Amino acid sequence: MKRLPAVAVCLVVLLCAALAPAADEVVVGSITPLSGKLAVYGEGFQQAMLLALDEVNAAEGINGKPMRIHYEDNNSTAKDSVSAIQKLITVNKLPVIFGPAASSNFLAVCPIAQENKTILIGAESAAADITKCGDYVFRLFPSDELQGKGAAELAVSLGYKEVVLTYINNDWGVGLGRVFKDNFVKAGGKIIDEFSHDEGKTDYRTEILRIKKHSPRAAVNLTYIKEGATMLKQSYETGLKTQWLMGSASKSPKLVELAGEAAEGVIGTYPTFSQETPQYKHFKEVWAKKYPEKKVPVFGEYNYDMVHITAKALRASKSYTSQDIRAALIEAAKGYMGVTGDKTFDENGDVGAVYGKWTVKAGIITDYRP
Amino acid sequence: MDYLYHILVIALIYVIFASSLNLELGYAGLYNFGHVAFFAIGAYTSALLSLAGFSPAASMAIAVLCSAASGALLAVPALRLSGDYFGIATLAFGELARLFALNERWLTKGPMGLPGIPRPLGIEAGISGIPVYFFFTVTITAAVLLILRKTTMSPFGRALKVVREDEFVARAFGKNVFSLKVRAVAMGSLFAGLAGALYAHFVTYISPYDFSLNETILVLLCVVLGGKGTLSGPVLGAFVIILFQELLRFLPIPTDWGRFVSPIQGMIYGAVLVILMLKRPEGIIPEHRT
Amino acid sequence: MSGYYLQLMTNGIIAGAVYALFAVGLTLVYGVFRFINFAHGELIAWGAYLTLAFSALIPFGAAIFPAVALTVLIALTQERYVYAPLRKKTGITLLIASIGLSYFLRNGLRLLWGSDLQSFGFEAARGLVFFGITVSRTQIAMFLAAVIFLGFVWGLLRFTMLGKGLRAAADSLELAEIVGIDMKKIRRAVWIISAVFAASGGILIAIDTNLEPMMGIANLLKAFAAVLLGGAGNVWGALLGGLFIGIAENLGVAFFSPGYKDAISFALIIAILLFKPTGIFAIMKGMR
Repeated sequence: MKRLPAVAVCLVVLLCAALAPAADEVVVGSITPLSGKLAVYGEGFQQAMLLALDEVNAAEGINGKPMRIHYEDNNSTAKDSVSAIQKLITVNKLPVIFGPAASSNFLAVCPIAQENKTILIGAESAAADITKCGDYVFRLFPSDELQGKGAAELAVSLGYKEVVLTYINNDWGVGLGRVFKDNFVKAGGKIIDEFSHDEGKTDYRTEILRIKKHSPRAAVNLTYIKEGATMLKQSYETGLKTQWLMGSASKSPKLVELAGEAAEGVIGTYPTFSQETPQYKHFKEVWAKKYPEKKVPVFGEYNYDMVHITAKALRASKSYTSQDIRAALIEAAKGYMGVTGDKTFDENGDVGAVYGKWTVKAGIITDYRP
Repeated sequence: MDYLYHILVIALIYVIFASSLNLELGYAGLYNFGHVAFFAIGAYTSALLSLAGFSPAASMAIAVLCSAASGALLAVPALRLSGDYFGIATLAFGELARLFALNERWLTKGPMGLPGIPRPLGIEAGISGIPVYFFFTVTITAAVLLILRKTTMSPFGRALKVVREDEFVARAFGKNVFSLKVRAVAMGSLFAGLAGALYAHFVTYISPYDFSLNETILVLLCVVLGGKGTLSGPVLGAFVIILFQELLRFLPIPTDWGRFVSPIQGMIYGAVLVILMLKRPEGIIPEHRT
Repeated sequence: MSGYYLQLMTNGIIAGAVYALFAVGLTLVYGVFRFINFAHGELIAWGAYLTLAFSALIPFGAAIFPAVALTVLIALTQERYVYAPLRKKTGITLLIASIGLSYFLRNGLRLLWGSDLQSFGFEAARGLVFFGITVSRTQIAMFLAAVIFLGFVWGLLRFTMLGKGLRAAADSLELAEIVGIDMKKIRRAVWIISAVFAASGGILIAIDTNLEPMMGIANLLKAFAAVLLGGAGNVWGALLGGLFIGIAENLGVAFFSPGYKDAISFALIIAILLFKPTGIFAIMKGMR
């Protein structure tokens, strides 16, 4: 009890320090999963953002003032995302905030941003529902609506009329599964069996058996890296012979590293962008220079583009109010060719995308060519 | 200072949640490891009703009664189990409740969660409503603590402590031990449901991830850290834990250390818990035993 | 079609054996000290990660031994500095302390190895087929390890002086102390067995799937359910409890959505506890 006053003093000092008017600089907020179950990804997002930030500041920042990103951890949960955005809006009074990863966390904060006319930009949230968030919410990552269509087209184009559908039981998997099903059935396909599988299990043999029971020619598995690798490995052991069709979230060298032989021949969709553009080559080069020992993380390119577009909008904006920045942002993105392609926003603040096909050949992820 | 109000509301919700667990754990000696289930029942019932068009205040009232009823329904069979078995049965119940919310998509929208939950009494959504919501929560918390104070100082409350210390003695004094415990659980669930409903209408978004075993552990820590079996213990515990977590946001840590910060925070959190149990196992405010 | 159910059954038995492997350490700790060791999952993960670290230096088969030995050392350090000083305290105090240790150890793993997925890098192999039922080599290894280890512990409890002391301590810690059983030795033995089981279980799970800091926790809840189903402190009970849960949830997937796979085992736990509040296999008390 005796220490309470001391703690209180520390609290006040820290609060004051945080509230002290910052030196002449332009600050943008970011809610990033630095702890919790998404921490695996958060670190990579942050590095990609910092890379772009270095470039912005090397090029005179925002009209001479340096740009800074203020990070808030959200512990990978919706509750802490809400706390974080409240802090960014009311304590730091920032008009632009980069939203959290995981669609459920993004959906939790988007009404708050909209309500307060604060610009919220997402670089990795895919849920179709985000489209409806409002006119202050933008994202540079294509909606699941598009990927679901892409996956259905993939199955149809490969000549599969009947598939078993399984998806990871979380916001991403369930949402994407629904869109896939709608589009696949519309295209005349048939879903023989459909079920979700739990996140983070070590044993999926029974789920695999359920697929095997139908002996389908193809099985659509919309899942993450860890679950995907375990399922591929265990179905290989079980002797399941089917064509696996997967989504974008399992497209990672890690999947191949973990599943080895079992990942051979998997085909999947992913939102693609040309790797031949000067933008992409430039990104690769600067990434390798700043982080020589690290591979480009998942969604890294999107985070990089996000910072650059925001900087462009801030430079062009008439004032540092969200209304003006919003108008400048829409203008800045129009025809903007980033690392991840054309980032023009549609009327819902979404971007379009081209879907590519990936496959695993001789232990390497490459583009699928029939 | 809306952010401060925001933290305070969250802390107050945990004060109610922790106090409700304290009634079961601290007073009645019941290890309820599935307490989050009633928080979830309160949150989901209130959210679904108000999204279906009921007035939020009425939804909250119905939700609170629903959690109390489900608490009593669980307690009647589960209380036949002793000590740790009661704990594991409630833990299983808590996980079942979460899995239900995750899988019954027709009702709960599953992992997508429920956005846009309206606030009661015409309090505005978004930040402009936070100060009002704060006073609303303060009033409710004060009422809850008053009721708990009255209850624990009543013969009922004292009888609970006797049951906790020695069931046979309680029986010898002619107490109906079973009925006492069922009432304790029902009341605990009632207030947990209230905390859940307050949470849902405050954050305005809920999903099954908000109701995992981690929440039970967090609230258990609030109770034990503050001091179980006392009225003020869980209050202090909830404030210390919630503020401690938020305070970490203000530490000036260079962004480049990112990869190490969160593991080190976790290690410190763990170490503090261990040291606290070694040095002050009775919590910050130890129970005054007479 | 019966082949389908037989295969489900087989998968259930093997999954159950893994739960049992994790459950033994828990059940011994619970039986003797009467508290739920939340940090057991971290011993599982540390066993696997240490093997990964050593296998970079020496062949995999040899790396297991120093890894298990170090895991035992971690467990003994916990005992020395946390659990032993708390031995007179209530179960809830010990539980919270173990939650603290679990945070500490898990974040220690993240600090040293990062949060990313890792693997031992074994190639996936086709399973072996017996009478139309497919099992992988890892599955066989897991099942054998469970049976052999359990048999070993059972023999230890049944036929040695240490085992007698353990059983006495499980019945009543105070009485055992009064009759002059060396409690220090007993406590140490419990932690050593617990850590060896956790580490080897972790290594097997990591061979089967992969390594990540949360790997220990994934199966812990069910391992603990197995403990209670089998009756605390009962080694064969832990095996039976594990098998029961494994078979029930795997057969259940044939009828329910796999989203409810965990729910099946939790619902069963509640049902069984209500009918037989002391654990279904507590009848076999003589086995302890």
